[in-house]
Amino acid sequence: MTHLSGTDLPLDGRLRLFAALLGAAFAIFELRLFQLQVVEAAELREKSQRNSVRTVRLEAPRGEIVDREGRTLADTRSARELSVVPNDLQRRDVTFAALAQLLDKDVGELDGRVGNPRGIARFRPVRLVGDLDYVHLARVETHRFALPGVGTNVRPLRNYPEGTLASHLLGTLGEIRGDQLESEAYADYRPGDVIGQTGLEAALEPSLRGKAGGRNIVVDASGREVEELERVEPEPGSRVVLTLDLDLQRAAWDAFHDVPPGQPPKMGSAIAIDVRTGDVLAMLSLPGFDPNAFAGGIDATTWKALTNDEWHPLQNRAISSHYPPGSTHKVIVAAALLQERVITPQSRVFCPGSFHYGGRTYRCWKKEGHGSVDLLRAIQQSCDVFFYTYGVQLGIDRLANIAKSFGLGQATGVGLAGEATGLVPSSEWKEERFGERWFPGETVSAAIGQGYNLYTPIQLAVAYAGIATGEQIRPRLLLRVERPDGVEEAPPTERHPVGVAPEYLEWVRRGMTLVVEEPGGTGGRARVPGVRVAGKTGTAQVVRLEHTEHMQESKIPIKYRDHAWFGAFAPADAPEIVVGVFVEHGQHGSSGAAPVAQRILARYFEKRGIIPPTRVAAQVPETPHALH
Amino acid sequence: MLSIDRRVFQHFDWLLFALVLAVLAIGLANLYSATQAGVEHGLPPEFRRQLTAIAIGAAVVTVVLMLDYRRLERWAPALYVAALLLTASTLVLAPLTRGNRSWLVYGPFSLQPAEFTKLGLVLLMARWFHRHPPGLVRRLRDLFVPGLILAGPVGLIVLQRDLGVAVLTLLIGATYLLFVRIPVRAWVMVGAAGLAALAGLWSFVFKDYQRKRILDFFDPSRDPLASGYQAIQSRIAVGSGGLTGQGYLEGPQTQLQFLPTQHSDFAFSVLAEEWGFIGCSVLLLVYLSLLVWGLVIASNSKDGFGSMVAVGVVGMLFWPAAINVAMVLGLAPVIGVPLPLISYGGTQVLVNLIGLGLLMNVSMRRYIF
Repeated sequence: MTHLSGTDLPLDGRLRLFAALLGAAFAIFELRLFQLQVVEAAELREKSQRNSVRTVRLEAPRGEIVDREGRTLADTRSARELSVVPNDLQRRDVTFAALAQLLDKDVGELDGRVGNPRGIARFRPVRLVGDLDYVHLARVETHRFALPGVGTNVRPLRNYPEGTLASHLLGTLGEIRGDQLESEAYADYRPGDVIGQTGLEAALEPSLRGKAGGRNIVVDASGREVEELERVEPEPGSRVVLTLDLDLQRAAWDAFHDVPPGQPPKMGSAIAIDVRTGDVLAMLSLPGFDPNAFAGGIDATTWKALTNDEWHPLQNRAISSHYPPGSTHKVIVAAALLQERVITPQSRVFCPGSFHYGGRTYRCWKKEGHGSVDLLRAIQQSCDVFFYTYGVQLGIDRLANIAKSFGLGQATGVGLAGEATGLVPSSEWKEERFGERWFPGETVSAAIGQGYNLYTPIQLAVAYAGIATGEQIRPRLLLRVERPDGVEEAPPTERHPVGVAPEYLEWVRRGMTLVVEEPGGTGGRARVPGVRVAGKTGTAQVVRLEHTEHMQESKIPIKYRDHAWFGAFAPADAPEIVVGVFVEHGQHGSSGAAPVAQRILARYFEKRGIIPPTRVAAQVPETPHALH
Repeated sequence: MLSIDRRVFQHFDWLLFALVLAVLAIGLANLYSATQAGVEHGLPPEFRRQLTAIAIGAAVVTVVLMLDYRRLERWAPALYVAALLLTASTLVLAPLTRGNRSWLVYGPFSLQPAEFTKLGLVLLMARWFHRHPPGLVRRLRDLFVPGLILAGPVGLIVLQRDLGVAVLTLLIGATYLLFVRIPVRAWVMVGAAGLAALAGLWSFVFKDYQRKRILDFFDPSRDPLASGYQAIQSRIAVGSGGLTGQGYLEGPQTQLQFLPTQHSDFAFSVLAEEWGFIGCSVLLLVYLSLLVWGLVIASNSKDGFGSMVAVGVVGMLFWPAAINVAMVLGLAPVIGVPLPLISYGGTQVLVNLIGLGLLMNVSMRRYIF
């Protein structure tokens, strides 16, 4: 007997116990093996031969997206898909020939789609048609029993009844990408899952996505289901209520499409925000696309057409594109001039039509000059010389600080991916970006919104809401999420004061009211009878003046035409709604953009019951489905 | 430094060698069957990687045999700490794969350092129980130090979120408890404390999917679609093997790849389907012989450290084997534990071969006192 050194205790006794334990464990395994492989063998082997148990996924319907009044923007409809299980195809050539005839498709294409899968892939259904129409469905169902291995299935398919109307805002669906599958945010997703890839579909993915269920089924030799073993019902996604008002969205759409016959619709963007709540009431970007094209997997031709289009229809111009703000920037400059005490509301400048500074001449847009102007007139008539003169005294850095307090130069936080930050230049920024100091001459251009300044259309709306309310608001798109277990209200918008005192903002608002309401203002075409509107036009040069000034306006190629801006809020003395309009290559803020704002404001006050329905609104056919 | 005594090789343990070769051969043949479906030409990549791991293992074992295992008693603490550090590094360096962080990737090589902690654990435990003979351990408080030795790797692996390996490491360490002399009522207390700890783990540490797996085991109808699917398919594969099996490379469940991890965790079900009751019994018998022979080696060693190393290596092989086979046969929940030397997995093969090398080392030096 072996002894451990230094003890008198036997080790062998315990080793024997260990050996007995090993023996017992293996005896249990032998018994279990005997039970499975001898006693139950026949039954289990039969199951094996049929390869009969399949797990079939039951897709969860994606949550509905509705506007603030409950009108559907995105829902789910039942689509019929046709698929084949390669293993169950008995006479492949015959089946495919018949299918091709029934579906009006090419045999080679169908055959190629299925390929020659091996292993378990042979049992996985291959989808041949994603959305079968009734004629073809009826044909296939009639011949069902002559087509072993072919099956039709109902599957939920995303449906956007309004088509392109809010395409960028709603966004697109797409198959989950490899890099997404590896990230922790998508830990419980599987390859092939369809998820929101852009817009609200992506931002609201966790709410909209339900929970897939599934079935374990027994199938017979030709793949037809004979018995259901287990079933787990899918849980549908939550219903999401947006702040959007479909009527205002449509008004914006109609305004962009209200062009002389034969001309393409306007491009650009329009945003309307309720300044009291931050609710985004309209967000339009044009040209758009039909999100339905993405719902069942986009086809290569459509995708190519969308990505190669020179006007970039997939780009959400409302948040992802930034442009020089032109004269819309002047109201921010005016507020900064007052706040920094560079001027009083009574300060005057004589505008001879140009301004000389540092050996250069800067022109006013009005060659003959505005004569003697004070602040209100300078805003009303958008006098460049007034802002050149005082802008230089203000300096770029003080202007930048005030502009940033209005939310410019930073994402608004509206909750969509891909928001551009825009740009508020400062001497520090230039040092960092170009390694060069800021030249005072650059302040001259910046004071009228030309230099380096860039706004996104949504920033224009947020900055103007700041002038209207004295507060920088964070726009919100979500009103509430209705889950099966209760309703979750979105938090109220965040707001904090802008860097300009209320009495100064009041002067700016008075100037902006003159822009729209008084003769001689540049924004007369935004007038809504019955409501006082405050606004400011802007025109941003696309190419240098020398290239286009000799041309007749309508002869300038579209891509060289100036961009048109218009920002407005109303009622001027107690603002409720702010509108930001950007018309790409729209030439003039006054004629290109202001009428769009007018349509949106008019629709808003009609709905509020403040003004009677206008003839214009009645004429517009409510068919926003066509692309362009 | 390498003192090679000719007597050592005269006592080469041919039985141990033959048993290990038999297990490896069965494992490789089985892995080939599990992975060859769908491979157009050449050997399946998993098969080639497994061969590489065995070759590396053989080389390391040759070196291990040159060393007198008694040197390892001195090195045990350093090896233990090194294995822990390697494992800890995964918490910082490793990407999250399938919900846990337990892999280190160096170019084409990927390692599961947690496997190495088993070796460190066995060596350090053997050293402690050599210095504190288990027959003299009569009170629970005497187990404080071994408890700490065990808590290191188990704690780290819990942090890696690798439930299966954590339980396994705990069991390997607990193997030594078979040899201590602590009265029954003390064990009752330990049991109560263990249950309390388990309740704590359940509420605060386990992730939802881990709770789900355990609940699925106790009630297969909870999620019959996911975890249950594997269990059902495994049962069908095992049962359909019958007495003599469906034939090598002929198992329909295997060749159609119905089991998602048939080359790793469910390797035994492949064997069961293709070789039947007889094939399974042969493998189990070879396994049992290997383990019992390990205990004989422990008994024959004239040196307490050698005995305790041998016991540890037996535990290191037995627990994963028992849990894996029980899982495949539907006697235990589906937790990711490979079948030693049979399942696909380079680190596992390497570590188990080194363990068997230690066993051989102890066996070869049984007469040199």
